[in-house]
Amino acid sequence: MKTIHIRQSFLGEHSDELFAGVRIGVVGLGGGGSHIAQQSAYLGIGRFAFFDPDFLDFPNLNRTVGATLADANAKTPKVAVAERVVKSVNPDAEVWAIQTEWQKDFDLLRACDAVFGCLDGFSQRAQLEESCRRALIPLIDIGMDVHKDYPFSISGQIVVSIPGEPCFRCIGFIRDKDLDEEGRRYGVAGGNPQVVWSNGVLASTAIGILVQMLAPWCRIRTGSRFIGYDGDGFTLEHDARLTVVSQAQCQHFSSISDLGDPFWKP
Amino acid sequence: MNVHFKLTVALLDGIVADLRRPHPFAAERAGFIGCKVSRCRDGFLVLSNTYLSLSDDWYADDQRFGCVFNSHAMRAAMQFALTNDASMFHVHLHDHKGLPWFSRPDICESARYVPDFWNVKPKLPHGTLVLSANAAAGLCWYPEIKKPIRISRITAVGFPMRFLGGSF
Repeated sequence: MKTIHIRQSFLGEHSDELFAGVRIGVVGLGGGGSHIAQQSAYLGIGRFAFFDPDFLDFPNLNRTVGATLADANAKTPKVAVAERVVKSVNPDAEVWAIQTEWQKDFDLLRACDAVFGCLDGFSQRAQLEESCRRALIPLIDIGMDVHKDYPFSISGQIVVSIPGEPCFRCIGFIRDKDLDEEGRRYGVAGGNPQVVWSNGVLASTAIGILVQMLAPWCRIRTGSRFIGYDGDGFTLEHDARLTVVSQAQCQHFSSISDLGDPFWKP
Repeated sequence: MNVHFKLTVALLDGIVADLRRPHPFAAERAGFIGCKVSRCRDGFLVLSNTYLSLSDDWYADDQRFGCVFNSHAMRAAMQFALTNDASMFHVHLHDHKGLPWFSRPDICESARYVPDFWNVKPKLPHGTLVLSANAAAGLCWYPEIKKPIRISRITAVGFPMRFLGGSF
């Protein structure tokens, strides 16, 4: 094991080789995704696929880990900031920094062993989960919100979608009425309040879930997870909705036609 | 071309449990896995969904081999491929720990029957998989390439993930 990973040797004698061979996808490199990229690099993950069409601007500087004032001035792509952060820790890392929507490079997304979803909105999340399920890829989604009713309130969640286990719809994280409501509000959302510390809590927990999935250090109770974050009381708690469906077979992605490329050509 | 074979942990456990059942006369059991395929950046993915267990009477009594299946087994697997537009992978178990590999008869026989799936699904890859107690290996026949390709990576997707073979 390399010296830089010696303090995490409890994760397994060959965990550094395992992490170096794993490719993770990060969709959205803003407040949440930038933490994910940085911590994955420290962990020793060796292969990355970053997707984000956006560039760094001044309103992002309050929460994008690794971004500098010069990046905001230069309008550096967010994926380039993430690549720089990863390479500064591990110059040998293989990084695909794709400055476009993730839907435009399915081939790269499908080559990932696990994907982190750091997206806004239910529609994007639903699409990403379907794409991950089609390629049997675990998806770890994080998100937070600052509710604007006075007094302000911060909340968020980490939701894990493991192929073969309950999906976002099974556990009630994505519902048709939320998608409909989002569709009606399309184009009028504007910039929601976002802060660095709650994104950090959610991203760190998501990284812990990835590590437990790859190199478990303790007895695991369940793969699927729906963890709610109370940013006012500073607590993380398992959502009760998952306990109801945790043993049930997913009915939304169980058929053979839910897998693979519908337009396959050799 | 890299071939990444994926199945869920639940499907893997079900397959191993079935293959470990003793047979009245065959020394080992076999089955077929119905899969879909998808392109990816490095090559393609084989994505497993359905396991076809072979009935006891679909085995032929041939003591020269651990397991010989008859035409009923092949017909059922071909029908599944046709009905579901599926890629088919034969599977059997060498019940030891560590990376398994095919015996010489395994390779000779699979080279005969795996390409038969192209009679019903000529544009899809098909293949064969050998499992051990904690690892796996496989061969894949790709359309228009006569020699099989060694499967480069085999993953059981679940929590935790199980990396069964290949480049990790």
